[in-house]
Amino acid sequence: MASLRDIRKRIRSVKSTQQITKAMKMVAAAKLRKAQDAILAARPYAQMLDLMISELVARSEAVAHPLLVSRPPKVAELVVLTSDRGLAGGFNSNVIRRASRFLFENAKTYEKVFLSTIGRKGHDYFKKRPVQLRKDFAGLFAKVSYRTAADLAQELSARYVAGELDAVFLVYNEFVSAITQTVSLVQLLPFQGPLGAPAKAGKAEPSPVDFKYEPARPEVLDRLLPQALAVKLYRALLESVASEQGARMSAMENATSNAAEMISNLTLFYNRTRQAVITKELMEIVSGAEALK
Amino acid sequence: MAKLSVEIVTPERRVLSVQAEEAVVPGYHGLFGVRPGHTPFLSLMEPGTLTLRDGGSSQSFFVSGGFAEVSRDKVLVLAESAEPISAIDVAAAKSRLEEAQKKLKGLAAEDARFEVETAAVKREAARIAAAGRR
Repeated sequence: MASLRDIRKRIRSVKSTQQITKAMKMVAAAKLRKAQDAILAARPYAQMLDLMISELVARSEAVAHPLLVSRPPKVAELVVLTSDRGLAGGFNSNVIRRASRFLFENAKTYEKVFLSTIGRKGHDYFKKRPVQLRKDFAGLFAKVSYRTAADLAQELSARYVAGELDAVFLVYNEFVSAITQTVSLVQLLPFQGPLGAPAKAGKAEPSPVDFKYEPARPEVLDRLLPQALAVKLYRALLESVASEQGARMSAMENATSNAAEMISNLTLFYNRTRQAVITKELMEIVSGAEALK
Repeated sequence: MAKLSVEIVTPERRVLSVQAEEAVVPGYHGLFGVRPGHTPFLSLMEPGTLTLRDGGSSQSFFVSGGFAEVSRDKVLVLAESAEPISAIDVAAAKSRLEEAQKKLKGLAAEDARFEVETAAVKREAARIAAAGRR
């Protein structure tokens, strides 16, 4: 049977673990709030950009843009968005599982599927597997800014336009609420955006007069589309960060309550053991005194 | 007199939403001024200085490319980034410029990163120039 000292030691260690998980939960909650604010702050820009594009598309007849052209699918790239840190419940494994499923399902559709990873966890997983790992965008989470998303988008679209890639997909955690995250897989290129629904432009009460464009429309569209792609990526990044914090928060919450349960069980066991020891000693004393009679 | 309502929005936040009498925007073909009653207009923006005047006061921002839309006395500026001229950190901009130039040297024109770094060089150079004029 475990000695009293051993049990005491156990209780102490569980208690300190609980303190750590509690602290991690608080930190995650604070970071989650910040991440949610960032998502909200990014919304006006995305909305206005969508509006601009749909207005532009509604006014021009045929839109032909290299980012809109779909080609016979040969080479695809899947961008896997995970986090740098673990201890976030199923956050990373969900994304990784979805990515693996995509690879499995599309093994026949595409001749080749490249993988790019954002976040250390995804990279650590896939570098040990037989997949074509093209690039790891490391250290991106030190500072999530629009710039990083824009650079990434530019690189992807440059490779798409150059014909190196025929499709680009992104798998990431979508932020639903602090306790719910859903893995979502979206197609980034060929571009699918507000262009699909140009009818929506009517809602924005288009000005009766046509805009003057400087330079001409195609060039403007040329700049708007990569921008929209960058905004999409940026949003995915923000959502992923928020999801990570949300997932960590609930994982740590669970860990903390598990620790509490363990402590109460251990304390009960400790008290019982202590009682048993006392009873045993008493009996020894009594029987010793009895023997002396 | 009617006033323009000017809004500057970046992907990261809404920077500014004010009334002004005149806005000078770094357009695709150089600076253009907007006053109330301007024709509907959409221009690409180059990295440069955006100035707003209202009464006797004026405020300037550095914008690093994007779009400017003018319609019905509303100026909507969608900038990749925007910051008050006075808040530019010249030393940081210089180090970013040098870094981008160094990276650019090692790249071929066909490289996917080439465009990215070229844009960075242009942006940071414009930022430093804007700071020089404050």
